[in-house]
Amino acid sequence: MFRNTADGRTTLEARARPGLVLAAAAVVTLQAVGAVAGLAPLLAVVELGRALLSPGPVDQDHVRAAVMVGAAGLFVRLLFTAASSGLGHVLDGHVQLALRRALAARLGRVPIGWFSRRRTGELAKVVGEDVSAVHPLIAHTPGELVSAFVVPLVSLIYLLTIDWRLTLITLTPVVLAVALVPLLMLPSRQREQEEYDAAMGRIASSVVEFVQGISVVKTFGGSGRAHRKFRAAADDFVSVFSRWVRGMSLVAAGMQLALSPPFVLVVVLTGGTAMITSGGMAPADLLPFLLLGLGLTAPVAALGHGFDDIQAARRAVGRIRDVLAVPSLPEPADPVAPQGHRVELRHVRFAYEPGHDVLRGVDLVLEPGTVTAVVGPSGSGKSTLVQLLPRFFDPTHGSVVLGGVDLRELGSRDLYGTVSFVFQDTSLLRASIADNIALAVPHAGLEDVVRAARLANVHDRVLELPRGYDTVIGEDAGLSGGEAQRIAIARALLADAPVLVLDEATAFADPQTEQAVRRALATLEGDRTMLVIAHRLETVADADTIVMLENGVIVEQGRPADLLARNGKLTAFWQARTSAIADEHEPTTA
Amino acid sequence: MIRTLLRVLGHEYATPMRRTLAMMTATAAVEGVLYALLVPILRALFGRTPADAWPWLIAFAAAVAVYAVLRYISDLSGMRVGTTMLRGMYHRLGDHLARLPIGWYTDRRVGDVSVMASRGLLAALGVMAHLLAPFISALVTPLTIVAVMLVLDWRLGLASLVAVPIVVVTQVRTARSMATVDAQRHDRDHEAAARVIEYLQAQPVLRAGGRTRERFGLLDDSLQHVERTSRRQTLSMLPGAVGLTLTVQAIFTVLLALGTYLALGGNIGAAEVLTILVLAARCADPLLSLSDIGAKLRGARSELDRLDTVLRTEPLPEPDEPIRPERHDVEFDAVTFRYGDRTVAENVSLSVPEGQRIAVVGPSGAGKSTLLQLLARFHDVDAGAVRVGGVDVRAIDTEVLMARIAIVFQDVYLFHGTIEENVRLGRPDASDAEVRAAATAARLDEVIERLPGGWAADVGEGGALLSGGERQRVSIARALLKDAPMVLLDEVTSALDPLNEAAVHEGIERLMAGRTVVMVAHRMRTVRRADRVALLDRGRIIAEGSHDELLSRGGTYADFWNVSTTPVAGDVG
Repeated sequence: MFRNTADGRTTLEARARPGLVLAAAAVVTLQAVGAVAGLAPLLAVVELGRALLSPGPVDQDHVRAAVMVGAAGLFVRLLFTAASSGLGHVLDGHVQLALRRALAARLGRVPIGWFSRRRTGELAKVVGEDVSAVHPLIAHTPGELVSAFVVPLVSLIYLLTIDWRLTLITLTPVVLAVALVPLLMLPSRQREQEEYDAAMGRIASSVVEFVQGISVVKTFGGSGRAHRKFRAAADDFVSVFSRWVRGMSLVAAGMQLALSPPFVLVVVLTGGTAMITSGGMAPADLLPFLLLGLGLTAPVAALGHGFDDIQAARRAVGRIRDVLAVPSLPEPADPVAPQGHRVELRHVRFAYEPGHDVLRGVDLVLEPGTVTAVVGPSGSGKSTLVQLLPRFFDPTHGSVVLGGVDLRELGSRDLYGTVSFVFQDTSLLRASIADNIALAVPHAGLEDVVRAARLANVHDRVLELPRGYDTVIGEDAGLSGGEAQRIAIARALLADAPVLVLDEATAFADPQTEQAVRRALATLEGDRTMLVIAHRLETVADADTIVMLENGVIVEQGRPADLLARNGKLTAFWQARTSAIADEHEPTTA
Repeated sequence: MIRTLLRVLGHEYATPMRRTLAMMTATAAVEGVLYALLVPILRALFGRTPADAWPWLIAFAAAVAVYAVLRYISDLSGMRVGTTMLRGMYHRLGDHLARLPIGWYTDRRVGDVSVMASRGLLAALGVMAHLLAPFISALVTPLTIVAVMLVLDWRLGLASLVAVPIVVVTQVRTARSMATVDAQRHDRDHEAAARVIEYLQAQPVLRAGGRTRERFGLLDDSLQHVERTSRRQTLSMLPGAVGLTLTVQAIFTVLLALGTYLALGGNIGAAEVLTILVLAARCADPLLSLSDIGAKLRGARSELDRLDTVLRTEPLPEPDEPIRPERHDVEFDAVTFRYGDRTVAENVSLSVPEGQRIAVVGPSGAGKSTLLQLLARFHDVDAGAVRVGGVDVRAIDTEVLMARIAIVFQDVYLFHGTIEENVRLGRPDASDAEVRAAATAARLDEVIERLPGGWAADVGEGGALLSGGERQRVSIARALLKDAPMVLLDEVTSALDPLNEAAVHEGIERLMAGRTVVMVAHRMRTVRRADRVALLDRGRIIAEGSHDELLSRGGTYADFWNVSTTPVAGDVG
C-alpha cells in the first residue's frame, strides 16, 4: 500500500514536472523582470522631484533621461508580464491535460470491482473540477507571488537606502495587519469554518434529494417535505454564513483598513512631515515613500487574498493523488497465454470486507461447449461469482483458472479477448451505433456489425433511426432500455469471445429482447463456455449443468433433469417461485 | 449584470441593493477626494514652510477616519444585502423548481441544477460580495482623481481624461468577446465531464476491447478540446488585458512627459506636478486590477445567466379557475405528444372507466411510459386532451391532480432517511397503525424484520442500501398509504429474484384493487388481470380489447406474447 502511494505520487509529479519546471522558470523570471521594470516610471518621478526641488538650475538632460528610462520600463513591464501570463496559462493547460490523461490511464487499470455507482460522480469530479482547481496554483500563483514579494522587496531595499527611519515607519501598517492575523485563526473561527462546511453539505444533499427525487416530491404533494427541507437547509446555511461573515468582519475590516492606501498615506505623511519639519530629511526624499511605500503592503494582502484558492488547490491535489495511488490490477510480468477455454474455479473464497465471506469455498468446472446456469436466492453470491470470471475482482483465496492459466497470470488482452459478458447496466457511449457495437472489436467491418445487430434483433430498429448505423446515440436519437440492451447484446455477439458470462435479469429487458437473446445464444455454435445467472425456468431446463448457490457455497449441482427429479433444494426453490407467480409462464392459446 | 441580478432576485431587493451600491460609490469617491488633500500638504512640505502642512495633515487624517467608517458601513451593508440575497435566491430557486413540470427534469438538468443550487449560487454571490466593492472603487476612485487633476491643472487633467473612453471601450469589448469563449469553455467542460462519466461506466466494455491501454479516443478528444478552449480563452483574454495595461501605462507616460515639459518650462509648480504624478501612480493599480476583477465577475455573471434561464422557464400553466373532478375515469382523447422532434404519442385515444384496469403493452420505445407521464401531467399534450372524470388535466389544480394519483415507478427514488420516513411520505398524517398496515400489505414487513434497525433502518442516499426489489416494496407501501383513487404503474422490466418478484406482485395486486389503474405491463400475469389491454407501437395504438379477445384475434398481439411464452413451465412444477 505504501509503495503504491509513493508510486501514485511519483506519477503525479512526473506527469506534471516538465510543465511545472518550465512554468516555474519562465513564468517567474518573466514576471520578475516585468514587475521590477514597472518600478522604473516611479523612480523617474522621484528623479524629476529631486531635480525640481533641488536648489539651483534644473539638470534638464538628467530629467529627460529619467523620463525615457521610465517609459522604457513601462514598455518592458507590459511585454514581460503579458508573456508571463500567457505562457503560464498555456502551460497550465498542458499540465491539466497531462493530469487528466494520467487519471484516465490509472482509472483504466484499477479493478472494475473498485468502481461503484456512487463513486462515478466523485471520480468524475476529480478528473474535472479538481484538476481545474489546480489552475491558480500553476497559472496565477507564481506570477502573483513574484509581484507580491519581489517588488516589495526591491522597493524596501531602495527605500532603506534613502531613509531607514521613515522606512520603518512606513512598515507599521504591515506590522499592524500581521499582528491581526492570529485573530483570524482562533479556535472559534475553526469551529465556525466547520459549521459552515457542514451547512453547505446539508444544502448540497438536500438539493440532490429535491431535484433527483422531484417526481416523488411532486407526486406526493407539491410543496412537500423535500421542498421544505431544502428551504430549511438554505435558511440554516444563510444564518451560519452570516455569522461566519460577521465573525470575520471586524478583524478583517481592521486588517483591510491597515493595508489600505489612505491609511498607509497617513502614516507616511505624518512620519515624513515630522522628519521634514525637524530638519531630519530632505523634502524630496518623501517622494519615493509616497510612490513605493504603498506597495510594501502587497505581500500581506496577497497572502490573505490568494490563501483560499491555494488551500482549495492543495485539497484538490490531495484528491488527485489519492486516485492516482489506487492500486491497479497487477498485470503479470510474463503473461501466459491460455490453452483452450475451460474455466475452473478452485476453492474460491471472496470477501468484499475482511471477515464477511460472500463466497465460501466454491469449486466449479465450466467445460467448453456447455451452458452452466447459476441459480439461488438473492444474496447467495451469484453475481459475485460471475464477476470473478472477467476479473472484476481477484478471489481472496483460491484461484480462477482459464485454459490452465490463473487469471492473475493472464495478460488483460488475452483475458478480455477470451471472456465476454453482458450484465453491467448497459453503457452506451455517445458515439455512433456502429461504433458502439464494434466497441470491443474496433476494426470490425460494417457487415460484421450489421450481422451482430441482426442476431440481436435490433437491426430493423437501427435502420429506422435518422442516420441508421451512423446515428449518434444521445444526440441524433435516444434509445429505450430494451433497445440499448440489444445493442449491448450485439456488442457481445460481435466480440465473439469463447467464454460468455450473462445475467438474465439485465439481459431480458422486454419480451423482444429476451427472444433476441435466446435466438442469438442458440446460434452461438461450437465449443463456447457459457455461464448464466438464470431467472427463467427455460434457461434452467436447457442448461447442461445447474449450480445452485446458497450462502456462498454450492448446495446442488448436476444436470437439470436429474436435479429436478431429485426433489432437492432446487426443486423446492423453484416451486416456491412458480407458486408465487403461478400464471406467468402459462402457454398461450394462439 | 446588476440588472440580471435584480431580475433573478425579484425587485423587492432593488432598494437595499441600490443603497449598498450608493454606499460603495460614496466610499470610493471619498477615497478619491481624500487624495486631493495631498496637494496642500505637499505644497507646504516642498515649499519654504513645511510646518504649514500640519493642519492639512490633520484634515487628511480626519478624512481617512471618515473613509474608514464609510468603508466599514458599506462592507457591512454589502454583507447584509448579500446574505439576504442569498436567502432570497435559494428560496426563489427552490419555489421555482417545485413548480417546474417533472418532464423538464432530464438527467442533464438534474445534474446542472444540483450544482447550481448548491455551490453555483454561493460562488456567484460570493464573487459579487467580494468583488463588487473593489470593482466600484477601481472605477470611481480614479474618476474622482481625474476630476481633482482637472482642477489642479486642466492640461494634465485633460490628458488623463483621454484614458476614460479607452478604458471603457476595451473593457466592454473584452467582456463581449470573452462571453463567447467563456460559454464555449463551459460547454467543453460539460462535455468532458460527461465523457469521463461515460468512460468510467463503460470500463468493463472498454477493457474487453482493449480500449483503455491506449488513450480512449472519445475521452481524449474531449480532454484536448478542453485544453484548446482554455488556450483560446487565454488568447482572447490577452488583448483586453494588454490593451488596458497599455492604455494605463501610455497615459502615465504622457503625464510624466507632459508634466516634466510643463515643469521645466516653469508653467506649473513643482508641488502640483509631483502631486499629480503621485495621484496618477495611485490610479494605475486599481485600473490594472479591472481586467482581473472583470474576468471573475464574468464567471459569476454566466452563473447568474444560467440561473436566470432556469427561473425564466415557464412552469406548466395553472388553471385560473380549477375544476375538481368528481369521478376518476380516465380518457385519452386523440392525444398527440412530441418530445423534441420525435412524436412519442400520435392520436392516442383510450378510455378507462372508474375502477377498471388498463394495461399498456408494446415493444420498448413504443411510448408506453409517456402515456403515464401525460396523465400525471409531467408534460402537456401537443394536441388532444387527457381527462380525469371528464375534466381536462390542464383544468385541474396540480396539487389536486397529484392527490388523486399514486405512482409506482420502475426506478424508485428513496430519500435519505429511515424506511418509515419514506413510507410515511405517502400520507404524512397517517397513524402508526396505518403505516404498519401499508407495510404489511406491501410485504415490506419482511424486509424490515431483516434489516438492522428495523423501521428506523437508514435506506442510504437514493435508497442505495436496499435492493431493487426492496425499494419497489417501499414504493408500493408508500402508494398504498396514500390511498389515491387512481394508480399509475410502470412495471419493472428486469427480473427480480423470485422472493422479491412474488412480494412485489402481491403488493401491486393489493394496490390496484378497486382503483382506476393505468399500467405499463411486461408480465403476462399482470396483463391477464387487466380489464383491457392496449397494444402500443411507435406511439400508436394498434390493438385494443381484453387479453383473451386480442389473443384469439391472433396477429401482432399474439406474436407479441408468443415470443416470451414458450411453454416450458408445464414441464416442471
